Amino acid sequence: MSYVEVSLPRLAIALLFIAIACGVSWRLRLGLGSALVVGAIRAAVQLIAIGYFLVFLFAHERAWLVLTVLIAMLLVAALTSARRLEHGPGLRVLLPYALAAVGGGAAIALLPLFTLIVVPHPWFEARYLVPLSGMMMSSAMNVVAQVFERVFAMARSERAVIEQLLALGASSVQATQSHTRAAVRAALIPTINGLVTVGLVALPGMMTGQILSGTAPGQAVRYQVVIMYQLVAVAAVSGALATRFARRMLFTPREQLRRDPELR
Amino acid sequence: MANIEAGGPPRLEARDVRFTVRGRHIVDGVSLSLGAGEVVTIEGASGSGKTTFLRILATQVEPDAGTILLDGTDARAITPSVFRTRVAYVLQESPMFDGTVADNVATGPRLRGKTMSAGAIAAALDRVGLAGLSGRIARELSGGERQRVALARALANEPDVLLLDEPTSALDPSSAQRVLAVVRALADSGLAVVLVTHVAEHALSLGGRHLVFEEGRIVGTADQRPETT
Repeated sequence: MSYVEVSLPRLAIALLFIAIACGVSWRLRLGLGSALVVGAIRAAVQLIAIGYFLVFLFAHERAWLVLTVLIAMLLVAALTSARRLEHGPGLRVLLPYALAAVGGGAAIALLPLFTLIVVPHPWFEARYLVPLSGMMMSSAMNVVAQVFERVFAMARSERAVIEQLLALGASSVQATQSHTRAAVRAALIPTINGLVTVGLVALPGMMTGQILSGTAPGQAVRYQVVIMYQLVAVAAVSGALATRFARRMLFTPREQLRRDPELR
Repeated sequence: MANIEAGGPPRLEARDVRFTVRGRHIVDGVSLSLGAGEVVTIEGASGSGKTTFLRILATQVEPDAGTILLDGTDARAITPSVFRTRVAYVLQESPMFDGTVADNVATGPRLRGKTMSAGAIAAALDRVGLAGLSGRIARELSGGERQRVALARALANEPDVLLLDEPTSALDPSSAQRVLAVVRALADSGLAVVLVTHVAEHALSLGGRHLVFEEGRIVGTADQRPETT
């Protein structure tokens, strides 16, 4: 296992790329110069910090510490998916559901992975648990955010249709079915497209990383196939959970569509 | 306000119903009982609480206090979908669903897994004066036609009670009269009807019992049509 080291001076050369983008921004008067600089600094600081943190974590690998890290990641993912919803309930109502939807989707993918496919020794080996869990959680986070946004926006714009369907004897499931289906489909389609095009245009980041660090391409490919299949399950389960939870927030147990203020 | 008993046992009954939003009494202790074939019209300005009261009768809104009874049974003890197929509620400017008029009319039975025959759909449309329209795209109809499709769609569930929110508000006078004539005929065929409107003359032209709503209460009542058989 050998790879070309990136020394700090060489890392600094990469700043040139930011400078190029800044130059384009200045030339075309895009007004993105400061955003680029802030973004570049944040990316570097966050990644360097996580790099040091991983070094620390690998050196002090304890079950409780790894689990704490995973829980913190889950919390951030759930918070992110529940934030910035234009319509729908406030964070306080939404967060427990977001946690369950992101956590449920990620767990469906991760439990079989770590018990049957990639079995780490010891079971809490951070080198496997942290990055692989992170990938699944961030995918679940995006799906949950997207489904919540769509379903709550729909409940607002289609309020009269939903209420008329309820009045005709529809259950809350029937009254929202066409829209919740569309929301889960929309969340799944990018993942399915990923399955179809992977390897044809770009090599996935994780596979690229493994190959660069010396893993045999055959093994890197196997990891990648597992990841891609997992992502489909994550999207399906998180999406389905998010629609179910959204419905629970939107309707009373007596199949009444709640008013906006009641949601908050 | 005391209950006003109609002929025959009450089908739908509201007992001292209250609904409050942030300290404001939207519906403030309203009671009403409605017998088969009876028409009750509720007139009131916007914000008087009449629509909220109708929505409570339809179990679309849970009252803070009070009870809704269907044939003497507390609505809370009845499965919502069962209650709502027996007590039909047509929203103000009720939206048309995708598809044809026939698709729209057959919605209620379809939700219960039943297919409505073409003959039954035609009969339902005939009842509201829209014979021959079943193949048209529902959303392309005129306002008056849509309102009558909404009526036929509600009737497809064969309800005992019909709750109508401003069925004539968006219509020109002749379309409004046509809708009112249909409602009158439905009541004559035994359906209990509650119709909410802000147009006093529409309410009065239907006959039956007439209630005036103000600030969530019934402030006036009159029996407009003693000749009702």
